[in-house]
Amino acid sequence: MTRLSNILAPICGALSILLAWQFLLPLSGVPAYIAPTPTKIIAVFFNQTDLILSNFLPTAIEALAGFFIGNLAAVLFAILFAYARFIRMAYFPVVLFFNTIPILALSPIIILIFGLGMTPKIIIAAIICFFPTLVNMIRGLASASQNEEELFRMLSANKFEIFLRLHLPRSLPMLFSSLRIATATAVIGAIVGEWIGADKGLGALIIQATFNYQSDKLYAAIVASSSLSIAMFALVALVEARVMRGWAR
Amino acid sequence: MSDTAVEAQRLEIGYRNGRDVTTVLSDVDLTVPQGEFLTILGPSGCGKSTLLRVVANLLDPLGGQITVLGNTPEAARRARKTGFVFQDATLLPWRTVGQNIRLPAVVGGRQARALPDTRIAEVMALLGLSGLEDRYPSQLSGGQRQRVAIARALIDEPEILLMDEPFGALDEITRDRLNDELLSIWRETGMTILFVTHSIEEAVYLGQRVIVMAANPGRILNIHDLRPVKSDDNHCQRDNAAIVSEIAAQRQLLAEAS
Repeated sequence: MTRLSNILAPICGALSILLAWQFLLPLSGVPAYIAPTPTKIIAVFFNQTDLILSNFLPTAIEALAGFFIGNLAAVLFAILFAYARFIRMAYFPVVLFFNTIPILALSPIIILIFGLGMTPKIIIAAIICFFPTLVNMIRGLASASQNEEELFRMLSANKFEIFLRLHLPRSLPMLFSSLRIATATAVIGAIVGEWIGADKGLGALIIQATFNYQSDKLYAAIVASSSLSIAMFALVALVEARVMRGWAR
Repeated sequence: MSDTAVEAQRLEIGYRNGRDVTTVLSDVDLTVPQGEFLTILGPSGCGKSTLLRVVANLLDPLGGQITVLGNTPEAARRARKTGFVFQDATLLPWRTVGQNIRLPAVVGGRQARALPDTRIAEVMALLGLSGLEDRYPSQLSGGQRQRVAIARALIDEPEILLMDEPFGALDEITRDRLNDELLSIWRETGMTILFVTHSIEEAVYLGQRVIVMAANPGRILNIHDLRPVKSDDNHCQRDNAAIVSEIAAQRQLLAEAS
């Protein structure tokens, strides 16, 4: 009963809002070019499937590539910073300074350098994923307890064994929590890149639909980009459940 | 081969932080013969865990002499002659019970050596863990977790087992049962056990000798030899009148000291 209601409650909640939106919106007098009804948005997915797909795919590729490159780089840099004290002292402040530059200010520079293709969007998505994962991973690698460190010293473990068997597994909870957040930010990065200069992608579609008062297309693009984030989030959650089975929560 | 498990002379123990030196224990003289069950009893902050960490080579002494099995504590640790059991079990949550017990076989460079499955099964049976090999630590009770920690420490067959309040967080019934099991493991293996506790009952029940320590400043107050009141037969009898009166004497001593 509780399990069933756990599933049913959010479905009921979402359905009630969609129904209210569908039937109350026309009564409120808001013009259709500002806010379409849910059925109009769904209709875009059926009637203009090609348009949605041809814009969804570039954004998905950019977000996924940015997600992998940004997080992989973050994990590698975190390992470097965690174990090379001098490099951490020399370069971590630089990295932190770099992080204070707003991504919107940085994006035009990246577009200038790399042009209008997919590459600059992947780089923007990667940069936006990089910092949270870097900081979380550094903290995760240092999160073993004193007793755990002493246990490995008792066993005369060498540095590589301590890294592989203790610090790396210990960092996984913090790594996965930042990967979950990065699924949303990678999509944001790709769309921001497309706003600044692109003729394909959900970001480009959002801009075009906005300027042409095509609110149904605009909302459909928003639904598509949110679905992309949700799919990536689910993928990370699936991997996390597989990797961390048995861990105490 | 030395007959002495641990020998300490004028041992100074504490922490060095840059130029700051905090002495926790000073002038410790101690001789522990091989095969002894020694309990170290004292209130929080008396340095009893710190003393154990020096024997384990997890901490270097500030001064004085210490030998473990006739050699340095480091040599004993590197040869896996000392095993350590922590208060919180310190099981790795991502490894199953079997994998946790096998940890000494997968880390430690040259010391890591493959263990036959029969040895794992033997130790698990000794600790009453048979059938739990594929469980994760989160699926175990506190008592079971501590059994796994002891199994992991025993897998290498150490000559000295160092235990830092291993049953301190357990309920009394579980603790009493593990005390009895530990005594039977001790008798079976003949190893030396140094057991730190803040429970007078536990210290007196388990130990052949009890080191009573006091805090502020940390020091050894007295070393009580309980062997005269414990024959082999009554070692496990909690209601032995002589042992009970010994407990009362310990309480009095600690009260006077603090």
